[in-house]
Amino acid sequence: MKTIRLMTVGGVIAYRALFNWTRPSIFIGTLLIGPLFQLLFFAYLGRQLQVADDRFYLVGNAVLAATLAGVFGGTLAVGNERRYGTLGHVLLSPRSRTAVFLGRALPYGANGLFIAVFTLSVSALMLGLRIPIGAVPGLLTAMAIGSLASAFFGLTLGALGLRFRDVWVISNVAVALLMLLTGVNVPRANLPGWMATTGQYLPITHAAEAARQFAAGQGWSAAGPQLGREALVGLGYAVLAAVLLKVFEFESRRTASLETL
Amino acid sequence: MLLLGTITHIKQISRSPLEVAIAMVVPIVQATLAVYLFRSGGEQHRLIEAAVGAGLMGVWSSVLFGSGGAIQNQRWQGTLEMIMLAPRRPVLVILPITLATGLTGAYSLLATLAWGRLLYGIRLDFVHPAAFVVAAVVCIVALGMFGLLLAATFVLMRNANALTNALEYPIWLVSGMLVPITVLPAWTGPIAAVLPTTWGARALREATTGGPVWPSAGICLAISIVCLILGSFALTYVERRARATATLALA
Repeated sequence: MKTIRLMTVGGVIAYRALFNWTRPSIFIGTLLIGPLFQLLFFAYLGRQLQVADDRFYLVGNAVLAATLAGVFGGTLAVGNERRYGTLGHVLLSPRSRTAVFLGRALPYGANGLFIAVFTLSVSALMLGLRIPIGAVPGLLTAMAIGSLASAFFGLTLGALGLRFRDVWVISNVAVALLMLLTGVNVPRANLPGWMATTGQYLPITHAAEAARQFAAGQGWSAAGPQLGREALVGLGYAVLAAVLLKVFEFESRRTASLETL
Repeated sequence: MLLLGTITHIKQISRSPLEVAIAMVVPIVQATLAVYLFRSGGEQHRLIEAAVGAGLMGVWSSVLFGSGGAIQNQRWQGTLEMIMLAPRRPVLVILPITLATGLTGAYSLLATLAWGRLLYGIRLDFVHPAAFVVAAVVCIVALGMFGLLLAATFVLMRNANALTNALEYPIWLVSGMLVPITVLPAWTGPIAAVLPTTWGARALREATTGGPVWPSAGICLAISIVCLILGSFALTYVERRARATATLALA
């Protein structure tokens, strides 16, 4: 129970710390307007090239939108502690640092879900996509699992930030690669084999496919396996993040390089 | 002063892994995405357009994030007061920074063309090769001048980052860098018409696939000169206001 409290309350406090020095404008501009125009860009490009229909682009890019909060938030959850010199205080805590850091991913997962819902709702209204009401629970589930998987992926990248100086490079490149490899914009069948295979191990690939199945009116039995794969990918990144954080914490203490930028 | 300032800032930007990643790696990923999208749509004959468009998208990203952060970065580095104390007009101090972001963005264009040629065998058969080079230079300089107006505007806003992050895709979309503006809603037309990016993209496309390059390049340059004049006045106003209220170094 204490661990759950540590994860949720600690995560919320860290999330507020990231945003409390800004106004809502930075949230709206970065996490709502940006992803919405990203979706419109690919939807219009897809329409013009006739690669796939609007549903493919709207649903896929709405799930992709969730990764912004997850990847950047997860990266900053660790990177900012180092940047602002507070990492030492966190690591001195007598509580489980694994729980502390994994808890940081939870608000970003919720944030990602909110962005995905906003992006899909507004874009569906703008471009006239009809989504069956019965698909909503399934869509929300797919988006929630995809968002959480993205947040754990971001946390893994953030752990790398304990070893590499510039986490912004890692997160910017990662977000661009997600756009290419997860099949949200180019159907995976049209990607080279190695790209499609890599995509299977990245967050949101399976969530986007599941969300498309729900939006097309298919049920849980059709989308369930994809949701299961997405959950496994997310769990894999959570474990990887925990291991990397543990290893890098040990290494940082051993080489006294904790605060070195 | 403009030349030396621009070179200095190019050197500084080129040593930032983040700037180099945004200027080179991200556009290459986007060019790859564009190539597979165009292939999926059966538009193999337009792959060179995809490479040029993706490169120009990289130039815009570089200008947007570089110019948007031009003054903020000086503020964070503690050098804003020093450069504003220089006995020259503010425009001569800030313009080299925004020009440098445009020139750094040229990496994107070169990188995506080289990437397309080497990896995907895209033949770089420009209909007007000389005009393409001129149009690219005009486009980069023009975006640098547009960046000055952005820098001057952003300095008035506490959270310029919010606008910077929100402006990347809308300009890509409305300017027709990859998506033809004819497929967009009609209300975007007037917005596209006043953006130098629209005319720059058009000039590059016309040099690539054929068409009257010079009118588009001329309009791009003319709009950018208007941006330069407006940006110059805005910077002078901002500097005086910041001196009067003692807020120059305050974010």
